Amino acid sequence: MISALEGAPRPALGMIDLLLRDREAMLARIRKGNDVAAIMRTMIATIAVCMAIVGAALGSYRGGVQIAYAAIKLPIVLLGTAALSAPALSAIGAALGRRSRLSADLALVMAALAFGALLLAACTPLIMVGRALELDYHRMILSTVAMFAVAGLAALRMVLRAVALEAAPGWRTAVAGLCVVFSLVGGQLSWALRPYLVRPRTPEAPFLREVEGSLFDAVTGALRSARGIYTRDEAPLGER
Amino acid sequence: MSVATREPFPVPRGLAIALAAAGPVAAGGILAVRAHDASPMLAAPVIVFGVVAATGPALYIASAAIGHAPPLAAVVRAFGVALGAFGVALAGLLLPAAFIAASSVTAGTTIAAASGAIAIAGYLGLRRLATELRPAGEIAGTAALASSVVFLVWAAATVAIAGRLWWDLAVEVVS
Repeated sequence: MISALEGAPRPALGMIDLLLRDREAMLARIRKGNDVAAIMRTMIATIAVCMAIVGAALGSYRGGVQIAYAAIKLPIVLLGTAALSAPALSAIGAALGRRSRLSADLALVMAALAFGALLLAACTPLIMVGRALELDYHRMILSTVAMFAVAGLAALRMVLRAVALEAAPGWRTAVAGLCVVFSLVGGQLSWALRPYLVRPRTPEAPFLREVEGSLFDAVTGALRSARGIYTRDEAPLGER
Repeated sequence: MSVATREPFPVPRGLAIALAAAGPVAAGGILAVRAHDASPMLAAPVIVFGVVAATGPALYIASAAIGHAPPLAAVVRAFGVALGAFGVALAGLLLPAAFIAASSVTAGTTIAAASGAIAIAGYLGLRRLATELRPAGEIAGTAALASSVVFLVWAAATVAIAGRLWWDLAVEVVS
């Protein structure tokens, strides 16, 4: 019984442990193409679980149904963005002569995002501290952005390290292209599925806000408003 | 002057050329969905292949005139590889562009998404063409400068013509 409990860790947990402790070894496994399908499965599950935890923690700022809403939406944002963006790494690399393999590149992007998601999950207590200290909404937003930025940079560093090791032609352009595409798609998908962090006094938390244009449209509109160019006579009043 | 292929092409050439033909159709499709008008799906590949066919000979003639043109067959092969690179790159960029266009409500975002995908793929195709046309051995500094100037002027003219045609098409159809 004891020997069964102390036995080797399950392969998926071992893979997560490897990702946290020895990313060079994980990158070598992906590069060799061994167990790419198993790596993908584990990484997708890791992203889904970790981002659900982070989403639930963010949703807890308002509480109630928002915990479930954010826990459902955040994994969709990250996995959807990865699925739409990862082929860009292979395609841009292939165009410049890199020996691209879509499955290996997808596994690499998923592994990097799983690492970022694990870091975010580790930040969950900080989100809960913010909730416990009743940090105001804007400070909470800024704290969340800072946590996501740290996790994003860690994931990017892992992708950079992996592709740089190949020393293939055009690797810098391929990674830069991935960053641009990932930022645009991620920004748009997260914009479309917002809100995640809702003010505690909000009476009803919507699952999705009404479609009111893209992130690009919102940024353009904000820039026009900042220059005093308005497309409507007055701001809409909330219903009372 | 011989032309060496420094990097192997990682996908079959035929598939890459097929992607180069299908990619602009799909990019035109992004505009077509927004405009409820199928004409961009025909016009986009015509612009890509038409402009390359119209300006390509000028690059060979100008390079030959300054004495640094690769053999004609090598130039044709380089254009094939560059078009393939354009197609492969576009294949990876179309999905994100289609998502951004489909999830926005304004025509400007649709034009920006489709144009961005075509522009990035075009840049990568031109970069690959420059690599393929680069001579294998060392050449004198003046000759290398002249070759680079000829290529840059040709690339600027090609991008300007194709960009203008694409912009006119997009604005007319979508707006």
